[in-house]
Amino acid sequence: MEIIVCIKRVPKTAEADLVIDKTERDIEKEGLVFDINEWDNYAVEEAILLKEKYGGTVTAISMGPEEVNETLRRALAMGADQAIRLTDPGFEGSDGYAIARVLSRAINPLAYDLVLTGVQAEDDGYGQVGPTLAELLGIRHVAIVNQIEGIENGRARVHRELEGGLDEVIDLELPAVLTIQTGINEPRYVSIIGIRKVAQKEIKVLGLQDLGMKLEEAGEPGSMTVVEKVFFPPVGEGAQMLEGTMDEISDKVIAILKEKGGVA
Amino acid sequence: MDAIFVLVEHRQGAIRDITFEMLMKGKQLCEKTGNPLTAVLLGNDVGAMAEELKDRANRVILIEDQKLENFNSEAYQQVLGNLVEQEKPSLLLMGHTAFGMDLAPGLAVQMNAPLATDCIDVMMEDDRVKATRQTYGGKLNVEVRLKPAQCSMVTLRPASFSVADYSLGGEITRVTSPLTEEIPSKRFLEYVEAAAGEVDITQTEILVSVGRGIKDPENIPMVQELADSLGAALSCSRPVVDKKWLPKDRQVGTSGKTVKPKVYIAIGISGAFQHAAGMKGSGTIIAINRDPKAPIFNIAHFGIVGDLFKIVPALKGKIGEVLA
Amino acid sequence: MEAQKNELLQKFELYGCFQCGKCTGGCPVSLKSKLNIRKLMIEVLLRENLSNMIQRDELWDCTTCKTCTLRCPRGLEPMDLLIGMRALSVEEGHIPKTIIEALEGAYKYGNPWNAAKNKRSDWANELELKVFPQGGKAANLYFVCCTAAYDTRVQNVGRSLVQCFRQIGYDFATLGNDETCCGSEIRRMGEEGLFEMLMEGNIESINKYDIRSIVTTSPHCYNTIKNDYAQDGLEVRHYTQILAEAIEGKNPFSGEMRKVITYHDPCFLGKQNGIFDEPRQILQSIPGVTFIDFDRSRENSLCCEGGGGRMWVESSDQGPRLAEIRVQDAVDMGAEILATACPFCLLTLEDAVKTTGNEEKLRVMDISEILVEVL
Repeated sequence: MEIIVCIKRVPKTAEADLVIDKTERDIEKEGLVFDINEWDNYAVEEAILLKEKYGGTVTAISMGPEEVNETLRRALAMGADQAIRLTDPGFEGSDGYAIARVLSRAINPLAYDLVLTGVQAEDDGYGQVGPTLAELLGIRHVAIVNQIEGIENGRARVHRELEGGLDEVIDLELPAVLTIQTGINEPRYVSIIGIRKVAQKEIKVLGLQDLGMKLEEAGEPGSMTVVEKVFFPPVGEGAQMLEGTMDEISDKVIAILKEKGGVA
Repeated sequence: MDAIFVLVEHRQGAIRDITFEMLMKGKQLCEKTGNPLTAVLLGNDVGAMAEELKDRANRVILIEDQKLENFNSEAYQQVLGNLVEQEKPSLLLMGHTAFGMDLAPGLAVQMNAPLATDCIDVMMEDDRVKATRQTYGGKLNVEVRLKPAQCSMVTLRPASFSVADYSLGGEITRVTSPLTEEIPSKRFLEYVEAAAGEVDITQTEILVSVGRGIKDPENIPMVQELADSLGAALSCSRPVVDKKWLPKDRQVGTSGKTVKPKVYIAIGISGAFQHAAGMKGSGTIIAINRDPKAPIFNIAHFGIVGDLFKIVPALKGKIGEVLA
Repeated sequence: MEAQKNELLQKFELYGCFQCGKCTGGCPVSLKSKLNIRKLMIEVLLRENLSNMIQRDELWDCTTCKTCTLRCPRGLEPMDLLIGMRALSVEEGHIPKTIIEALEGAYKYGNPWNAAKNKRSDWANELELKVFPQGGKAANLYFVCCTAAYDTRVQNVGRSLVQCFRQIGYDFATLGNDETCCGSEIRRMGEEGLFEMLMEGNIESINKYDIRSIVTTSPHCYNTIKNDYAQDGLEVRHYTQILAEAIEGKNPFSGEMRKVITYHDPCFLGKQNGIFDEPRQILQSIPGVTFIDFDRSRENSLCCEGGGGRMWVESSDQGPRLAEIRVQDAVDMGAEILATACPFCLLTLEDAVKTTGNEEKLRVMDISEILVEVL
């Protein structure tokens, strides 16, 4: 089983106060902590588990500057065999489509049975790279996979997560792209000692030319969407206190539940 | 005029809410641009759904085929690719749902259409499509412009638009399915319900969460009933698990689970840091606590200061009346 | 695994153990947990394969209170063997999820609570503290501790301590947002590599500002900086030592408190570092205070179960929490205030007051908080 897993290094912003940068098209990244995208962590673990079960190799691929090596090394420490980093000034500003296009060029010449990605990235949250990649590679895909039951005779039986606690069971032909949902497994811890052990492993670096791509095929020119501006969603401060009789308070809570919680 | 298409989402015989939300948004766009609104319904024996939808659009395109009985992104992609080529809509809306996330990207590549995913708003100005989407876990809004194209695609986040009643008195057009055979490479097998009795508090849209303010295990059923009446799951803070009043898998916080429901109702929870860390990503937080200085009120969006033993029964009674 | 086993055999001199059982006899969790430290010593010796052993849940029950090691007549280190077992488990990667989160938090944000690095000094926003990285100059570094910096309850301890230091004219500055986790709990959870990284970072800061003297809120930071970092020429003290010294002679805390107070010895302060008298001296110096000691106090103090990473993992046992026993004992002997001098003890004991329904009878307070009330 030859498995490719696509991962992304993202800023961890859950705890951070974001600042919009001068271009007003992104945020200031300075001072933010970066790590592997949460979904991708599950994808790497799933790739390793499949390798442990069916044999074969795992190749981790990521796009970005040199710092991304840290994320690739993390995947190597988890058990990936090889790592490839795609980097080029021409890749900057890529939307989900352009990212998938670059990935497809890198993956196309490789031998593979499965390509795993996370369902989406914590930062831009497109949720489109995996299925787009599949279409560009001309292979099958299943999005939001929360269980891989088994792989046999070139076909996989997988569960994908629908809304409201329902799964769909799919049988599909390999090779295929599966986008992996959080919770599918319990990603192992990567110790500092583990990372040190793979510090010397080679990470293959490929740019625009290596992939035989033209400038207009990647980055902003190769994207289908362009960011015009970013702004903060309107927010309130502190708790708005609900006051009145029990009856009035209850009415207010019900109104909030209807508006925010989709209660009929 | 180039129509705006809305792909109808349905499952197990019922139209999903996202469909009506998209139609509502589509109608607003059509009012502005003068384009007609078309609902596209794919399925098997779904004539009744078409009837249900026809007031919501100027036209319902109905494509029936046994091979469309259940959602299959490959079958849908073939049918829709074909239809879009013939009908040339200016915009195709889908839900940013399990269906839309599986279908939209591949279809966009096939049609060479620009796609903006997970959008909370979509605008059409002078033939240009723009959309607002959220990044960094909802901390930032981004306005994106889609590259000019014959047909643009946008997937919309569920619950982004409220639905009102209207009637466009649309007609139903039947179109023949272009599918000639089953899709062998990707097959739907079955639906599987999450095992009964298993509650995954990270997966529910509403959580009613209880803390040590509940005082006694005998009071837990009262809160469980409130949760039941809302179709919510019951979760708790650490002291409640420590006392074994609720199982460990219900615990929210650093040593329990991190949850992000649409609504989190914190009852008798002071909001200690370890608890807050596990739930502050919730869409809307409503806190009930007798201590006006409880830290939970710093992270809650709505607060009620008072006796939970009075508020919870009152709320439960009222919900029973309203939702009955 | 064989190489690792041999390493453990050599490092912890397991052949030297004669299975007397003094270690398990003193272990505070052995009565309720499957963890048996005596058996662990011999099992590692006898078993061919450790891979099943390192998967046992009860390895995470240990609070690293160190009683076993302190009691060993042969001078062996059973606690460190257990940490070594955890280290094997950490390296292999399949460890409790909450432990993973704490470790990853310490790596990414410099604290096991996964709180933002740039909010580390928010607790002191109104206090106008001197901060070394912002050019502040002072004779001493106040090392705040992750828990005191981020936990909304323990933040009050930091703020109280600042008041106490100011009252006695103790000159200090902090590292502000540059302080990172001391690594005490990280090391005890078995993540030695991460501990070293954190230690190197903190030592770099200490050297950068030419710091010669450190005072800590937490006995855990105190112990690890003093004994694990073990830097020559660096004086490390726990705040109770500073305050005990200051009240000798003319006591700057002159207020009165008519309360019955008992004191819970934090393992990392008492047992592990012999600081038993200073906290008691401070409490006994307060006019009006009736001080009573627990039956199990000083060297025999009962662990609160907050150490060794236990703040981030639930124990596998089903028995009563030791902190609950502690609280009940305090109530039974008529104490009105249960004093302690450790952020973890404070949290576990305060939780126990709530779970045992003793909120009306007993207050849990840090010594610094008590002093602020008698300023």
